[in-house]
Amino acid sequence: MNDALRRYPALRAWLLLAPSFLWLLLFFIIPLGIIVVYSFLQRDVYGGVIWEWTLDNYRRVFDPLYFKTFLYSLWIAFLTAFFSLLFGYPLAYFIATRPERIRNALVLALMIPFWTNFLVRTYAWLTLLRTNTGLINVWLMQWGIIDKPLPLFGNTFAITLGLVYGWMPDMILPIYAALEQIDHRLLEAAEDLYASGWQVFRRVIWPLSLPGVVAGTMLVFIPSLGAFVTPAILGGGKRLMIGNVITNQFLGAHDWPFGSALSVLMMAVMLLATLVYFRTGGERAGQGGL
Amino acid sequence: MTAAAAKAARQHRTRHWLRRGLFVAYGFLGYAFFYLPIVILVIFSFNDSRSVSKWSGFTLRWYEAMLQDHQIMLALWNSVFVAVVSTLIATVLGTLAALALERYRRFPARLFADITLYLPIIIPDIAMAIMLLAFFKLSGIGFQTWKVHIAGLRLAVPYSVIIGHVAFNISFVAVVVRARLAQMDRTLDEAAQDLYATPWRTFWRVTLPLMMPGVLGGALLAFTLSLDDFVITFFTSGAGFNTLPVRVFGMIRKGVTPKINAVSSLMLGFSLLLVTLALLAARGNQDRKIRMF
Amino acid sequence: MSDASIPAVELRDVVKRFDDVVAVDHVSLQIAPGEFFALLGPSGSGKTTTLRMIGGFELPTEGEVFIEGEPQGYKPPYQRPVNTVFQNYALFPHMTVAQNIAFGLEMRGVPKDEIRRRVGEMLDLVRLSGYEKRRPHQLSGGEQQRVALARALINQPKVLLLDEPLGALDLKLRKAMQLELKAIQEQVGITFVYVTHDQEEAITMADRIAVMNHGRVLQVGPPPEVYEQPHTLFVADFIGETNFIPVEVLRVGATVEVLTAGGARLQAGWAEPSLNAGASAMAAVRPERMRLYRPNAAPEGRSWNRVEGIVRHVIYHGLDIRYEIHLAGGCSLHVRLPVGHPEAGAFQRGEHVIVVWPSEATRVFRRDS
Repeated sequence: MNDALRRYPALRAWLLLAPSFLWLLLFFIIPLGIIVVYSFLQRDVYGGVIWEWTLDNYRRVFDPLYFKTFLYSLWIAFLTAFFSLLFGYPLAYFIATRPERIRNALVLALMIPFWTNFLVRTYAWLTLLRTNTGLINVWLMQWGIIDKPLPLFGNTFAITLGLVYGWMPDMILPIYAALEQIDHRLLEAAEDLYASGWQVFRRVIWPLSLPGVVAGTMLVFIPSLGAFVTPAILGGGKRLMIGNVITNQFLGAHDWPFGSALSVLMMAVMLLATLVYFRTGGERAGQGGL
Repeated sequence: MTAAAAKAARQHRTRHWLRRGLFVAYGFLGYAFFYLPIVILVIFSFNDSRSVSKWSGFTLRWYEAMLQDHQIMLALWNSVFVAVVSTLIATVLGTLAALALERYRRFPARLFADITLYLPIIIPDIAMAIMLLAFFKLSGIGFQTWKVHIAGLRLAVPYSVIIGHVAFNISFVAVVVRARLAQMDRTLDEAAQDLYATPWRTFWRVTLPLMMPGVLGGALLAFTLSLDDFVITFFTSGAGFNTLPVRVFGMIRKGVTPKINAVSSLMLGFSLLLVTLALLAARGNQDRKIRMF
Repeated sequence: MSDASIPAVELRDVVKRFDDVVAVDHVSLQIAPGEFFALLGPSGSGKTTTLRMIGGFELPTEGEVFIEGEPQGYKPPYQRPVNTVFQNYALFPHMTVAQNIAFGLEMRGVPKDEIRRRVGEMLDLVRLSGYEKRRPHQLSGGEQQRVALARALINQPKVLLLDEPLGALDLKLRKAMQLELKAIQEQVGITFVYVTHDQEEAITMADRIAVMNHGRVLQVGPPPEVYEQPHTLFVADFIGETNFIPVEVLRVGATVEVLTAGGARLQAGWAEPSLNAGASAMAAVRPERMRLYRPNAAPEGRSWNRVEGIVRHVIYHGLDIRYEIHLAGGCSLHVRLPVGHPEAGAFQRGEHVIVVWPSEATRVFRRDS
């Protein structure tokens, strides 16, 4: 045995891999397979499955009711990515242009809230945004700035805000990483050639930061698409995203085949996004964000 | 310099300072955006009323209530228990996997193993949660807790939750340990073997000590992720089993009081503690790294 | 006591393939006990791979490695009576100097007091006494190198392998260490197998040199032999400085005669056995064998080779003066005249000169070896 181990490094490699690989095989690959298989099965009356192949589940996805939710999720994910980029890019730029000593501290300060519990952070916004008892409305009305409470809760605004709040650091970090690597001499050269600030940005800085932008966009888009906690807490039960619908199929309606189909589709979209991410070299810029 | 040029220069400078001021203000606003909600949440955990938005005075009663709430304390224990157990398992498994992938560059099905190890990181937790739900239901494994007697203690081990936590933590540990291994000088292993150390002894005397910062970093990350996890735990918990995040979710459903703020503040404090530990460890590691040329 | 007739290291027809790349191509070597043996060659010549196969870090695809007559088979490094000094020293960063040096003894279960004593002796040998508690990062390059040496030698291996150990040191330190290594080797009497790409280093230190290229051993011999009697074009080019003149072979056999592009007939002392009349070849002569004469003043006779040329450059090199001479056929020769020589400094740019050297110093090679 020892001789075989010595002669075949592949054996040693797999011996080391075996425990974790087996674990993932049993508790990840196979469950994934179950979901995929289930998406093609039929539901039976008692909440189990009938072993008959069908594409009905996938057809039902295009049912206006469910398809709308799908589109809505895509829309929210897009909004989240958009606003994360809009507000996050300047912040990344801000950090990148501070003196070197401060930069690390600033990045750390950015990450600390990011490392706290997502549920807690979402709850924090709940207490701020609620219509009649949320802090923002309470204060604004107390100071007479408004008469009626603003609709900040239970809508797209709240969900997007919650998601942006939760995921923006994942947008900022890759962009910051890309910006930090830009050779200052390039900027000096551009200015030397009579480029105005805006032109320098458009023609030099932005293109060079693009890998970071792509990485950040994917890192924000993908989790936002699969959001469950945020719409559950900030959506007030009225706005559902695909994550909530899937949950209902499994825990409420017990329509596992349909829930599986929805999940498969959601994962397919995410896989697509991930491929885009890797294809455009986003991985290189996004290392910090992981 | 002519008068016109001087004026233009002054205008340019003013614009420059204006831009800078605006910029710094934006930066300040950005950080305020991130920190204010959390700060407000902590402040209102001391609120002397049932409101989380109208301040009525300072009190510690919500913290008292939290500490006396048996459900919450149980959930806290569960969180820590699950985190400790799953971190231990995931760290060992993840480290072994990292060794395999970093030390052996070419072997059959390596890419397959690499991808499998990487998948749990990119898959959304909702997907993983329902996958595990389906699996446990179908396989009959279920969501009960094992009642175990160890060293005079009666423990309820929530195996389904732990299994799920280990499943996603293995990958994170592996990533961190791999990063550390990639930095390590590979010839050190050869040098040890050259000096009559068997592979086993080489691992214990050379590889593991030098790898330790990575292993600890991975373990810390796994511990944090496990403590903070909600979605996967939510789907794989049996009836009545709560970790702290799951309990908080339930509390929110029932009604918002500063007690939730108190529990949240506790969780925030814990996160902060872990972050500080990680930083201190990284700082200590830095010093050692410099000494390791 | 090892039997002097059994080679310390023997490689029998060893081949090493990595996928389709043949790194070591049918190498056979015998290294005598107590010898300082150098493996010399450019990057990618297979010298390091060969060394690693002796140490057990790579296994031969074909062939066999013997250490003191014992076939090593698939034995891992920790089962071979061989120790290595690595190119980057590979000192354990988390251990002190003493712990590093003691490592091998510790692995073999040597008692603590004996370890302490022998570590002390080793530190004396490499002149690092008092450095026990220091850590590798606190040492200079030269000091690290000596610790690496001590760490290997303390185990009294049958063979010590050294993989370009002086590569990272600056010139002066390198020269000093070369002498020191040689002295230590002579003192302890262990067989050294030394890999280097620096031909000067090999010539200075080794008892015998194996010149390698493209995975093959081109020539094995003591430094004077390899220097003065190279067997192939590559060896002639790689070792020291050589002048090459493209020629056509006129006659081989008892006497060798070739024709330069410029029309000069040269007698040679040796030609590669596979050359025949009519073949294209390269004549090679070392610059220090050449002398310059004014036209009409050159010696005559078949024992001398003569070519005409014009002085293009005169470069002062401290110990000698180098002349670059352009020949009629189009190629250039470098001639080195020591500063004390009467002819040194006598020639100017643009002068016509005759380059003269002894015929037997001419060696003729195939163009492709």
